[in-house]
Amino acid sequence: MSSTANMELKSKEFALVGFLAIAVAVLAALFPNLGANADGNVDWISIPLVGFPIIAGVILLAFASQESRATQKKIAAPIRLASLCFSLIPLGISTALFFDWLIAVDWAILGYNEYVLDSQYLWMESIGVSWHVGMDGLSFPMVWLTTFLVPITMIMTWDEKDGATYHPILLLMGGALIGVFVALDLFMFYIFWELTLIPMFFLILKWGGSDRRYAAQKFFIYTFTASLVMLLGLITLYFLQPEGNGPFHGTITGRTFDMTTLFANAAAYNLGDNVFLGLEMQKILFVLLMIGFLVKLPAVPFHTWLPDAHVQAPTGGSMILAGVMLKMGAYGIMRIPIAIFPDALVYYQDVIMAIGLISLVWGSVVCLGQTNLKKMIAYSSVSHMGVILLGIASMQPLGYAAALFMMFAHGIISPMLFAVCGAFKHHYHSMEIGDMRGMAKWSPFLSVYMMFAWMASLGLPLLAGFVAELMILLAYWPIYGWWILLPGAVLAITAGYFLWSMQRTIFEGGDEGQPPASLNGETPPDITMPENIGMIILAVFTVIFGIFPFIALGMMDDWTVALFEGVFNKGGI
Amino acid sequence: MSSTILEYAILIPLLPMMAFPVILFLGKMFNGTPGWVGKMKEGGFIALPVMGASLILSIWLIIDSLHGTSGTTLFTWFESSWWDPATGAITTKVFNVGIHIDHLTIMLLFVASFLCFLINVFSIGYMNTDPLNDNRNHRFYAEFILFCSGMLGMVLADSFLWLFIFWELMGLCSYLLIGFYYERPSAAYAAKKAFLTTRVGDVFLIIGLVMLWNLFNGHLEYAYVFNANNIAAVDAGSLQLALGMMFIGAVGKSAQFPLHVWLPDAMEGPTPVSALIHAATMVNAGLYLVARMFPFFAATPVGSMSTLAIIIAFIGGITAVMAALIAFVQMDIKKVLAYSTMSQLAYIFTGLGAAMWLANNGHMEAATIALGAALFHLFNHAMAKGMLFMASGSVIHEMHHAHHEAHHHDHGDEDDDFDAQSMENMGGLASRMPITATAMFFGSMSIIGIPFIGGFWSKEGIIAKTWEVAFLEPAFFIPALFVLCGAGMTGFYMSRMWLMTFAGKPKTEVAANVQEQTAWIPIPLVALTFMTLTAFIWAGLEVTGWLGNYDGGHFIGFFEGIWLELKHIFLNHDISLLLLTYVAIGLSMVLGPLYAMKLYGGRLDDGQVAKPWMNWLINLSGRINEKSEFDNSAWANSSLTKSLHKRLHFDDVYDAAVLKIVVGFANLAALFDTKIIDGAIKGIESTSQDASTKVRSLTTGSARDYIMMAALGTLLIFGLLWGVA
Repeated sequence: MSSTANMELKSKEFALVGFLAIAVAVLAALFPNLGANADGNVDWISIPLVGFPIIAGVILLAFASQESRATQKKIAAPIRLASLCFSLIPLGISTALFFDWLIAVDWAILGYNEYVLDSQYLWMESIGVSWHVGMDGLSFPMVWLTTFLVPITMIMTWDEKDGATYHPILLLMGGALIGVFVALDLFMFYIFWELTLIPMFFLILKWGGSDRRYAAQKFFIYTFTASLVMLLGLITLYFLQPEGNGPFHGTITGRTFDMTTLFANAAAYNLGDNVFLGLEMQKILFVLLMIGFLVKLPAVPFHTWLPDAHVQAPTGGSMILAGVMLKMGAYGIMRIPIAIFPDALVYYQDVIMAIGLISLVWGSVVCLGQTNLKKMIAYSSVSHMGVILLGIASMQPLGYAAALFMMFAHGIISPMLFAVCGAFKHHYHSMEIGDMRGMAKWSPFLSVYMMFAWMASLGLPLLAGFVAELMILLAYWPIYGWWILLPGAVLAITAGYFLWSMQRTIFEGGDEGQPPASLNGETPPDITMPENIGMIILAVFTVIFGIFPFIALGMMDDWTVALFEGVFNKGGI
Repeated sequence: MSSTILEYAILIPLLPMMAFPVILFLGKMFNGTPGWVGKMKEGGFIALPVMGASLILSIWLIIDSLHGTSGTTLFTWFESSWWDPATGAITTKVFNVGIHIDHLTIMLLFVASFLCFLINVFSIGYMNTDPLNDNRNHRFYAEFILFCSGMLGMVLADSFLWLFIFWELMGLCSYLLIGFYYERPSAAYAAKKAFLTTRVGDVFLIIGLVMLWNLFNGHLEYAYVFNANNIAAVDAGSLQLALGMMFIGAVGKSAQFPLHVWLPDAMEGPTPVSALIHAATMVNAGLYLVARMFPFFAATPVGSMSTLAIIIAFIGGITAVMAALIAFVQMDIKKVLAYSTMSQLAYIFTGLGAAMWLANNGHMEAATIALGAALFHLFNHAMAKGMLFMASGSVIHEMHHAHHEAHHHDHGDEDDDFDAQSMENMGGLASRMPITATAMFFGSMSIIGIPFIGGFWSKEGIIAKTWEVAFLEPAFFIPALFVLCGAGMTGFYMSRMWLMTFAGKPKTEVAANVQEQTAWIPIPLVALTFMTLTAFIWAGLEVTGWLGNYDGGHFIGFFEGIWLELKHIFLNHDISLLLLTYVAIGLSMVLGPLYAMKLYGGRLDDGQVAKPWMNWLINLSGRINEKSEFDNSAWANSSLTKSLHKRLHFDDVYDAAVLKIVVGFANLAALFDTKIIDGAIKGIESTSQDASTKVRSLTTGSARDYIMMAALGTLLIFGLLWGVA
């Protein structure tokens, strides 16, 4: 297919998507109460945000995988179109939720352990498992981010090979990730937590680089093993919890997996000097859970699966992996151990700070020694995730809000970083920093996006990342004092490796530049229209959240206040 | 005080900021089309009215707020909460966006908007006539206007936080503009160096801000932190530490020792950028930050913050002499100006240090005058240096042009060795470029401090006040001595630059054919020459007293003001200070220039006549040069000169430190990460694989082996049972 015809096809495809999106919006406006349950409330989470993408993804996958390879090629175009359309529906719903178009939400009056769109359905009554979903200031930004990133990723990797299966997998991935963020039941949480591994495993295995087999296995086994440790913790917690409380008196075990009940029990028990389950048991369970989360985050020294997975993963996989999947670890820390084991958290506060600091410093120093662009970005993710641990260790609402905002900002910036790396790989067939010079001459757009993303990641003010870094430092100094010099040094080192990599790829090179040898003398191409669209959207949102951070920080601040009132103030002492 | 203009004040930085994407986008759309190149000057004619609007709004704001302080909060940037573990109380911390206006703001606002506008005019002449810039000028104007927006925003900001935000924005723009010719390795390197060096300072600045925020209970707004009651509630030692950290940021931004290395390399950018960075914006940002700290020194207990004042003065004094020394041997006309910038900024830092010491030790009146003198020097230096850079740009541009004319037959081969910026290729340009020569003539005089011109009014104040402090505090003798020596050194290197460029016979054929012919370029030169020559008006308006006085300030009669200034300089009641004044004038006006004339002076070519106000000097220099037989080869071959050529080895040492230590360590770390940390994981993998291989080898398929194993197992079980029993 010639490139112009391909271009026309793409324009038509995008036009069709836009038209369908408008049609759905009109329909939604005409029938606002479609699917309301008995008390007139619509459960906007279970089916529209979680069930629908997963079911649609599975159906499309099943449909496509039955066909022969030749047919798969033919139906790739309609299937990717359908996947994009389906992924826009959760985005529309989460955006509408933010703007209060579906229900009126006041995040400020949401107290501790209170959730928006809280819906519970019986599932395995006998052992106290229910399908329980809901959102608060912690999960909503993550849910929106996921719904936002999935269509962006699809657009940016529109031409990925085997589109008939690739795009449905992304759709499935998005549904599974949202499931993690909205789950209010430990059992459900764990199921979705593991479910996310499967599509990512196949993304790496099928669309990855030359060493994809090893990377996929390492990714799966490493994080799965850590999850099992976490599961051990969860099961122990399940059996140790006081019996007979909450809505599941009738269960065989007398216990529940319901998070809200557990949080309420813990908060009710933790009054005064009481410690839920006792400090020693809290410490053990805290460590078990943290192992699962820290490996996912990842924190040094459990981080080595990440560079391998990123380097081998396809661009779309990397974008989702860095954008949302890593945040599952941070989200998990914020959601479960802090709420149930606050005393263990206080006990391990300095350890968490140390791990965060080590991740931060080690990640950035190792970045300086990398020659592969994507590996460098992967290590920079490790470094940025360390910042989140610092925020948690600061024991301040400001620090927690900073960690939340860091998760969110990094969720927008890091997909752009990986998209730039992907463009290098896709168009130049090389991500080695030393292979090329002066690419700005040939690919002005790619160079602009690269510079933008790099600058955003090194914490330039008025872009999203800065606010989080500033708040972390503010929360850090009062409690850890001169240790602040280390995060400070990291700010300079980060600037160092980002500028260094730009100088050696897009700058220098004389009047004609030095395209990489892997192009075999062809004219280096600039990036394509779908990539342009995705990059511009990501860049615009980076600027919006950088200039107007209160859009997202408002609900995060409300959540942290509620958390501190509910957990650390121990019933308002 | 009308509140209307305050509401519009946000437009001053906002207009340029909004023009940034517009120029970039239109430039990308219409690049190369005749309308875009001819009518819009590739974006220059979009930037110019925007900067004009900013200038007009600024002047309106200035006229409206000449007296007193005002400010307004625009909106809440974000809110977050603070938990007190002891009481469990949760309080809200608010981060606002707002505008703050006082004398300091007004002065810098005028400097920034006025110079940015003139540099924009200059750029249209300079950038758009050079074929090197074809089809990329939209990038220049977009980045330029964002830079201006950063400076204007920083000046208007009402808190240290927003000061920092715009400060970083300028850092980004300087990176982009210094690396404008990104395909040149030297430019890419210089851009990175500038960003990283200032970033090192910025790290300390933000840590200082964090400390300050903590000290002042979550406030960084000027209105709160400068309140005397709030300062009194703060531990002066901690405050001094926080301000010291912030000062390191200023050292980086204003290119002071030891973070000065980026500035000479920054000359890789186009000349308008040099004018922008060195005169109007970037380097002034550091001074502005330090000047902003002044109220802290006035409100803290006597002597509690003297150490920081002394450190500031020391850094200033050291840089003043060091930069002047290096400027002695530079051959590149822009590099001389770069070092001169460093040196003059160091004067301002020394003056600020003196002002702070005086304020902290209860000499409020003297402190006000010292602060005013330092800030007035900032003003004079900005005007003169902006002009000097644009004039040097004019010289370079016409040299380029003449070079092209002379070699138009071999157009394809542009990369020859001719260096249009080297003063060794110039000479005798006074008659050929009269406007430029005049501008540089008065600009240099202003920088040197020739009586009654520009910088004279302020520089004498700085030197006198520094010495005044030195008589009270012995530690100040060293910076005081340094700034005094620096005055004479300034006289030498500025005269040297002017004489090498404009006096004597043309040293190359190119220089003999130079003509002043590019439109737009003379406009800012004339405007700034006027500003430099009329500095006495500002002096007469008691601007020193007014600048130093944040609240209120008074105007006295015009001639009375000039008389006061003159009396202060020439008829000082303190005999030692009076003596000092004459020594300083003698050094800078007589000794330095005479020495330069001896070495570099010379008459013009026969038949060439310069304008009368310069001709006498050229002839004088020729006479001195011819009459004196002076051998300076011993000095020229000394090891000091050699190390001056290498910029006193700072760059070498820093490069070595970064390359050998930091990068070396990083490479080791990367190796450790893959071999040891990941190696451990790989070890677990391979061990489990080996184990399973070994276990698998037990499955031999032979019945004999299985019977053997079953028998052994049975025996083992019996053995265990027996053991237990």
